[in-house]
Formats: sequence, structure tokens, C-alpha cells
Amino acid sequence: MKRFPAWLIAFNALMYAFLLLPIAIVIPMSLNAGEYLAFPPQGFSIRWYVSFLNSEQFTSALLRSLWLAVAVAMLASAIASPAAIFYVRCLRAGREKFRLTMLAPMLLPEVLTSIALLFFFNQLFFGKSTIVPLMIGHVIITIPFVFLTVTSALYNMPPGVEEAARTMGAGPWAVFRRVTFPLIKSGIVTGAMLAFIMSFDNVNISLLLKPLGSSTLPIQLFDYLRYDFDPTAAAVSTISLTITLIVVLLIDRFYGLRAVRF
Amino acid sequence: MRRWLLALPAMLMVGLFVVVPYLNIVVMSFRAPSPSAIYGPGFTLDNYARILSDPLYLGLLKDTLLYALGTTSLCFAIGFPVAYHLARTESRWRGLLYAGVLSPLLTGVVIRCFGWIVLLANNGVINQLLGLAGLGPYRLMYNPVGVTIALVHVFLPFMILPIMNAIQSVDPRLSEAARTMGASSARTFVRVVLPLSLPGVQSGVILVFVLSASAYIIPMLLGGGQVSTTPTVVVQQLMGSLLWPFGATLALVLSFTALIVVALFGAATRRAMRGVA
Repeated sequence: MKRFPAWLIAFNALMYAFLLLPIAIVIPMSLNAGEYLAFPPQGFSIRWYVSFLNSEQFTSALLRSLWLAVAVAMLASAIASPAAIFYVRCLRAGREKFRLTMLAPMLLPEVLTSIALLFFFNQLFFGKSTIVPLMIGHVIITIPFVFLTVTSALYNMPPGVEEAARTMGAGPWAVFRRVTFPLIKSGIVTGAMLAFIMSFDNVNISLLLKPLGSSTLPIQLFDYLRYDFDPTAAAVSTISLTITLIVVLLIDRFYGLRAVRF
Repeated sequence: MRRWLLALPAMLMVGLFVVVPYLNIVVMSFRAPSPSAIYGPGFTLDNYARILSDPLYLGLLKDTLLYALGTTSLCFAIGFPVAYHLARTESRWRGLLYAGVLSPLLTGVVIRCFGWIVLLANNGVINQLLGLAGLGPYRLMYNPVGVTIALVHVFLPFMILPIMNAIQSVDPRLSEAARTMGASSARTFVRVVLPLSLPGVQSGVILVFVLSASAYIIPMLLGGGQVSTTPTVVVQQLMGSLLWPFGATLALVLSFTALIVVALFGAATRRAMRGVA
């Protein structure tokens, strides 16, 4: 049985091209031997990757983004996973209110959140020389993603296994360590990896909260693109894409991309 | 049992770093500006009065809402067919297609903008290809066209995914029943599939509208200084000049206006969805 009319298939093929082309185009551009972002590329070269490695600003921004994203992923999953367990297993009254509170940072516009945090930190805690506000901002906006993946892992657990362990004499801690945790581990890991990607790619929060004089990779690229268009930007983009792609493939192996829902 | 301790760290984080700063930003919008400090003494309504009476800021607000409306409509027109196919296909490429829809979400917004710059620039890929056919070059970026294209690209997944979820939860046998009873495929679509997928359309429209009304990286990079929207002006005000009370007010007025649009849309669609969701 023919399920879809031909025009629908053709239209959708165009739309997938629309979705993928702007992302894929940076890869051939980064391997271009020419001086500018010319098309078609003028020969093959890795000179723009060399130019990236020679740029102290870009390499230090890459390293900063990487450790920041790792720290944010660990903090967000450590904070949001227990909350998800509490929501699914313990909370009786006010469930919807609690869920909305946990998801609030995802539902509120990021610009507004970053402006609010900028005011808050500058008035109360820190100057502009520490990375702590930036890190807190990233943790805040990634908490909902961990909360969602861990919640759905808890809902997808086979029913009754925890009761079975308890009837056979396991204490609450043993039940958690031996039964619950292994079964929701993939949810936690997926959430942490999503948090890594969100932090690694974030601009909205970072632009306003970044410490003076040091930026993350997306911010460095943003500043660069406002004045310059040479293929170094393409090399930086390709490196960043590769890192994200590796994490996405890992998510896919752990849990399947279907876990990424909104 | 002190099991609520499990939720304590998350509640503290959201309370301290979301709720309190948002309340603070509201207070800030009522503060008086000051030439020497971040804000002056006392409270005032002047910031609101200034925005609501100045044609410059009202025009900016109108432009921002128009960009958001245009982006939302285009996303819906493009997104629905893709979502419909993705929800109903049994192709073995389904996983790959799903990854294709997700890909813009998992790529940083700066990289996506850069990709569009490469494609749309005056000597960019599209103009070079058009040049081979003897056309152009056309001005495709640093104007509203480029900004809209990039906005649609960036927010399209937020339209496709909720609609796809909604269509998936519609029992395919309902369409088959309509077909058996003699409805044409177009009529089946309009009378069965479309109404039943409205909840997904509703959340997709709201998500895309809110996100595109508050976008500022895309107008900054693909507008190249030629396109101003409320969020870009807010960020410039906050980064360049330290006009915090005014910046806070501008951001709040925009959010509030967007909220009103969303509420009106919600009320309008609720009537259409009566008996569906």
C-alpha cells in the first residue's frame, strides 16, 4: 500500500536538506585551501585547523568549554536525579506544581533568565572575574533535561521489581543501589550527556555571564564572526560539531535518541 | 522519613537562582536610572511610561512580534508535513530521519548561523550557484530575509516534535474508518487527522513563538547590525551602556506582550479543541 503521496515525499526531502545543509556546509569549508570562504572549495588543506591550534584564544576557549560542560553535566545530574526520584516515587500532593518548578528554566526564555542572573549576581555575590555565575546559569538551564530523562527512566522501569527486592528482605538503600539505580542509570547518563551538549553549545547564558577576559568556545566564535569570516571559523565549528556528534552517538547507544523529547 | 531531602538541592537551586532573580528583575524595572551607579534611589514608573509612549520602542516591539509570527507560521507550514510523515512512516530510515530533525537542536546556535552565513553571503554558496545560471547575486542576509530563514531553521524542531507526538497518539484506524466510509484522503486529513493533532500544534506554536520572540543571537549575526529586535536592543543596552532598570523594563514588556499573545492563542485554540484533547 502506498502510504504517502509523492509530493509529500518530495517536499519533505527538501525540508530535510534545509535542516541539514547549513550544518553540513561548514565541514567542506573548513578543509578549503583558499583564503576566503569561497565555493566551490579551492583544493584541500588543513591550514585552518593549524590556524585554530595556533590561536591561543580559541584553544583555551575550547578547553574551558570542555571542562565547564563536564562539571555542569555532573552537577546537573547530581542535583536533578534525586529530585526526579522524589517526584516519581514519593510526592503525592502538588505534583504538577513541582514538575513545573523543575521544568521552569526550560520554559522561561533563556535571555530573560540570563538577564535576571546577571543582575542578581552583580548585586549580591560576585564580581565579573569568576566563572561561578556562568556555571550556575548552565546548571540551572540543564536541570530540566536531566529531570525529564530520569523521570521517564523511572516510569519505564519494569513494575514490581522494587517490591520484589523488598519482600525478599533488602533494605531501602540496598533496593536503591542494587535495583533502582542500575535500572535508571541510562536515564541519568543520557540526561548528563544532554546537559553536556546544552552547556557546550550555550550562548544565551554565557554571553551575559562570562567572566571578564575569558570566554567559552561559542562566545569566542560569536565574537570572531562579528568581524571576521575566514575559514578558521569553519574549522572551529567542525571541531565543535564533532565533539557534539560523539556525545549524540553515545546517547544513542545508551538509550536511543528517542529519549530526547520536548 | 525525610524523603523530601532528595528534592532539596534542586528546589534550592531553582528557588535561589530562578525565582529570586526573576523577582529581582521586576523590582529593577521600577528603579530610577542613575548616571553614576547601576540604579538611582527610589522607585518610579518612568521606565514603563517611556517604552509605552516612545514610537521607537513600540515599533521595535511590533517588529519583534512580526518576526515571531512569521517564523511561527512558516515553521507550521513546513513542520506539519514533516511531522506527519515522521509519525506515520514505517521506513527503516526512520531513526535517521528523526536524528535529522533533532540535528539543529544539538548544534550550537552560533554554528548554525555561521552555516547560513556561508550559504547566504553575497559571495556565498547560493549566490555562486545562482551565478552559474546567470542570476543574481541577491542580497540574502544582513536583512530580514536572512534573519527569518535562520529563525525558521533553528526553531523548526520545536514545531515538528510536538506535532509528531500528537499524530502518533492518533489511532490510524480512525483515518482508515473515514476512508472506508467514503471520505477522500484530503477530507480525511482535514476532518480527522488535523483536528486530532491540534494539541501538538498548539504546543509547537507556543514554543516557537516564545523562542523566536526572545531570540537575539540570530538577529545579531544574520542581521549584521541592520536588523534590530527588542532582545538585541536589550542585550546591547545591558552590555554597552549600563542602563539596567530600562533594560529590565524592556525585557519584561516584551515577555509580557508575548505572554498575552500566547494566552489569546490558547483561548482561541481551546474552543477549536473542545472534544478533542
